[in-house]
Amino acid sequence: MADMMKGNVAIAEAAIRAGARLYAGYPITPSTEIMEYMSWRMAEVDGVFVQAESEIAGINMIIGGAACGVRAITASSGPGISLKQEGMTTLSDEELPAVVVNMVRYGNGIGTLYSAQCDYHRETRGGGNGDYRCIVLCPSSVQEATELMVLAFDLAEKYRMVSVFMSEGALGQMMEPCELPEMRELPRYPWGFDGKYTNKKVGIFDRNSRDEAVLLNEKYNAVKENEQRWESIDVEDADYVLVAYGLPGRASIGAAKELRAEGYKVGMIRVITAWPFPEKAFQEVNPNVKGFITIEANATGQLIDDVALTALRTIDKKVQCYCRPHVYGIPSVKAIKQDFIDVVNGNMKEVY
Amino acid sequence: MKECVFAGFGGQGVLTVGLLISQMATYKDYHATWIPQYGSAMRGGTANCTVKFGEGYIYNPSQDEPDILLAMNNPSLVKFLPLVKPGGTIVVNSDLVDSEINTRKDINLVEIPCLTLAKEMDHPRGANVIMAGAIVKLSGDFTEREAIDGMNDMFRKKGKEKYKELNTKALSIGYNYI
Repeated sequence: MADMMKGNVAIAEAAIRAGARLYAGYPITPSTEIMEYMSWRMAEVDGVFVQAESEIAGINMIIGGAACGVRAITASSGPGISLKQEGMTTLSDEELPAVVVNMVRYGNGIGTLYSAQCDYHRETRGGGNGDYRCIVLCPSSVQEATELMVLAFDLAEKYRMVSVFMSEGALGQMMEPCELPEMRELPRYPWGFDGKYTNKKVGIFDRNSRDEAVLLNEKYNAVKENEQRWESIDVEDADYVLVAYGLPGRASIGAAKELRAEGYKVGMIRVITAWPFPEKAFQEVNPNVKGFITIEANATGQLIDDVALTALRTIDKKVQCYCRPHVYGIPSVKAIKQDFIDVVNGNMKEVY
Repeated sequence: MKECVFAGFGGQGVLTVGLLISQMATYKDYHATWIPQYGSAMRGGTANCTVKFGEGYIYNPSQDEPDILLAMNNPSLVKFLPLVKPGGTIVVNSDLVDSEINTRKDINLVEIPCLTLAKEMDHPRGANVIMAGAIVKLSGDFTEREAIDGMNDMFRKKGKEKYKELNTKALSIGYNYI
């Protein structure tokens, strides 16, 4: 029997067990407990913890740690992650692996403290300059968060890119029974700086961006092919498919199951990798599906764009795509069922 | 699945009562979730948390329609009274809460003078554990033994074993008050 564990604490401990040995960052609600935990836990595993003077300093320390071949992690929330964008595009340019945790809170600018999913576009497209990609992992429970944290490090190292761990404020604050992953002791990446100039030096003017572009696309295509993750239920014969991620995704599964029991042909896709987007999940959907409905915790609807694009690519006919943005929080199972009824009764206009 | 909301002033131990109940549920191999209402302030003001538990997976961990409300002060009763499920139970700290606030006829109001009971047993900080005992009994989901074992397991893991006897007694007082 597992014990109750707070999301942020479980995330931090899972990172330690996945081999993280550098944490640098700046506190912000609702992610602060990750940093608080790291402040004493890192010392126990002979890692390095730095409370940086700003988010910008924090992410630059992560660049340094990753360049030296150390598994490095930083955590923040919406506006703090905005400040880290320059560092994230630098990590991507240098092909340095790192994990950036966003415990999303609602709002533009400085935002609020409400749990939300308003950063979907920024995390899946990348908020820094250039045309890099980050792997984006979205947990729906404390248990899954610990598993995805290990995966975040493994994928970041395998493909030498940034993994964004995109969760929600509420998941960091809530408690659930949780079994932690095994402790792993990992060596430094063999290509990291070792203080002896062992590896080949590449100057900025030695680089060929056209050749690099080919390799970059090969890498991103490999990630798209190999790393799509999702959970789906009852999509093969569904008239309507709910699509959501994170905590609203979890509640949507409950809604889809109840609707099915009430006789509606409803399926559900819970997105786990927001990038690479799980296109393969849509290939399993009933070709005569009438509509996709996204359930989101933001104001404008963001996931809907990826769903509509993917529906175009995977379903032969035009399928209506609807979106119900609940702004913030976790929509109740009852509210999601009502969203579905609104679509069926013609009370919700399609977005695409 | 049962939903409980625990509400009161910061410092009355409502978040701990919620955690106790959720840990007892986990001890029984139920699914359980605990979620607080969180903000930027750490002390003072009101605090509340929502606990859901049961044999099935909990799809929505957030506050919805509680079967049981614990109101440790008047503002909590005012705030959460309309949310409680018809036929649900409200447990109030009758040493502080004015039961006249309740206007609903479709709920079961249980008054427990937990501060007085805690003082009588010479464990003034145990008022919340007394309430946990009462809620365990009212929920019908745990025996007294299961509740005590679940609670002591949690406090032991938190390194607070020295209050074991007092907490066990407090829980029993609450359980047997119903």
